Amino acid sequence: MFELTIAWRHITSSPRMMIFSVLSVALAVMVIAAMMGLMEGYRVEIISSTVENSPHLTVEPKEGEDYIHLYRTLSGMIWNYSGVEAVSPRLKGMAAAKYRDQVKGVSIIGVDPLLEDPLLGVQNDLISGNFKDLALKRHSAIVGIKLAEDLKLKTGDEFYLIRKGVSLKVTPAGYIQTGTGADESLVYLPLKTAQRLMGAGDVVSEIGVRTSDLYAAPAIASGLNLNSRYRTKSWQDRSRDLLNLLDTQKVVMHLFYLLVFVIAGFGVVNTMIMAISRRTREIGILMAMGANRESIVKIFVAESLILGPPSAIVGCLLAYAVAKLIEAFPVEVPSEVYVVSRMSVILSPEIFAYAVAFALLVDLAAGLYPAYKASRMDPVEAIASV
Amino acid sequence: MSIIVTKKLRKVFGNGVELLALNDIDLTIEEGEFLSITGPSGSGKSTLLNMLGLLDKPSGGEIWLKGKDVSRASSRERSHLRNRELGFIFQYHHLLPEFTALENVMIPQLIAGVDRKAARDRSRELLQEVGLDERLDHKPSELSGGQSQRVAVARALANRPSIVIGDEPTGNLDTKSSEMVYELLRKLNQEINQTFILVTHDMNMAKKTDRILRLVDGKIVSEMKREGEEFVEHL
Repeated sequence: MFELTIAWRHITSSPRMMIFSVLSVALAVMVIAAMMGLMEGYRVEIISSTVENSPHLTVEPKEGEDYIHLYRTLSGMIWNYSGVEAVSPRLKGMAAAKYRDQVKGVSIIGVDPLLEDPLLGVQNDLISGNFKDLALKRHSAIVGIKLAEDLKLKTGDEFYLIRKGVSLKVTPAGYIQTGTGADESLVYLPLKTAQRLMGAGDVVSEIGVRTSDLYAAPAIASGLNLNSRYRTKSWQDRSRDLLNLLDTQKVVMHLFYLLVFVIAGFGVVNTMIMAISRRTREIGILMAMGANRESIVKIFVAESLILGPPSAIVGCLLAYAVAKLIEAFPVEVPSEVYVVSRMSVILSPEIFAYAVAFALLVDLAAGLYPAYKASRMDPVEAIASV
Repeated sequence: MSIIVTKKLRKVFGNGVELLALNDIDLTIEEGEFLSITGPSGSGKSTLLNMLGLLDKPSGGEIWLKGKDVSRASSRERSHLRNRELGFIFQYHHLLPEFTALENVMIPQLIAGVDRKAARDRSRELLQEVGLDERLDHKPSELSGGQSQRVAVARALANRPSIVIGDEPTGNLDTKSSEMVYELLRKLNQEINQTFILVTHDMNMAKKTDRILRLVDGKIVSEMKREGEEFVEHL
């Protein structure tokens, strides 16, 4: 195809012009791939850190009741579902923690550590002590690290948990750091101890369930909801707002990406228009030699398309470099606002494919207008132009 | 069959103020003719050439090329005919600057879909014919004016056109190079019976052709034909 020959020769004979064109698209690819990676990293971090600290499924008491009484039977029922990896009955409540003259409101969770650990991997977040001690010592507790600091607890010191006239003395068996706001108020207790504190008998307030596949949870939730009057919520149900936010964010980001590519596209259009106006006479001569309008369009579209792959490759390389740079920076983000505490960039192959496809599309679209204008030139005028 | 016949050929320019560039031109050109068109500036010489070269469409009248009416041919048809039947030599060589002499002569052939190797071989032959076989791989920037113009001649001949059209082909050259180019065209006309239509304002050059048409204000006012070394008025 002679059009390709001519297009190729045009490019190799004016490298400087083409480099600018390549760069403008490459930069767009870089920005977009890096942004997409950042967004993906944020999304994955936010989900995993939220999920890490909550069960995939939560079974709550029947309508109108405060507690689950038959939790052992219910646990048995839950284990029947395939994909269930952990089931932990939990008693939650609010109490006051008192140490010397410090008093703070706390959230207590009464659990059987042997059941709770598989649910949330609590031991991993412990910075001292052994979670399983809760099973051995009736009056032990695992205390959130910030709570411990606020109360000015020292190792081995006992403190009081007080609620509605019930007062219990507990000894910290270890400290926990989840990296979330829970560290300021969390106290893990053995289930029986928590039941004493709450004074409602042998009950739990919920059953937490872990599934092998996070995304299978909604199906199991539906099953449980159909078969019992206990109300089961999946992680997705409870995080509806968060998921909606992430989705909205995705849409907004796509608009941003479009804008970035449009801007890059203008760079390409500009370069092509300049390249074509420099070659006006040449186009006239080609027409005089018998190249028809279609061929002229083909030549210039080919020129912009040939630049697609190099732009894409350079863009992807730059994106990779930028990603590494962002990750190298230890950024302190307030955990209440961003939920996550570090910035990660996840550049999946999909992201690269997306960016490359866009680069080619932009080059094609940007090349079409100038190529069309070139083909509409009047050969006589074109030849006569200087 | 005459190669070109025009009947009452007209060309009007401009929307507001109309300019009648060609005014009912009747012309017949036979195969193998070596003719020139002269006239003052603005006489319509270039316009007539653009008509004959199918670079532009007439406003009225007819053009017949090898027995076919091409007056209202579509843009695509005209491109096709330009590629196969016509060759052009412009005042400035107008070679493609990024391509070598050899490649420049190949391009019209590639447009015609000729196989690359065949195109290369023919280009080599043509460049030899015009005396440039030492300069095949030179780019236009590495050639003199006269040499570039000779490459342009070779290029014009690439697809064995019925007619070669030249618009002031030596206008940009010194006397010596001009002579050389005209001798070359003369030689081609004699050797391969190539039809040439040349526009020139230089009467010395015109006198090297066999038939001189003089255009004034869009009309043919005189015609001279060669008889031996002399020119005789024909009307």
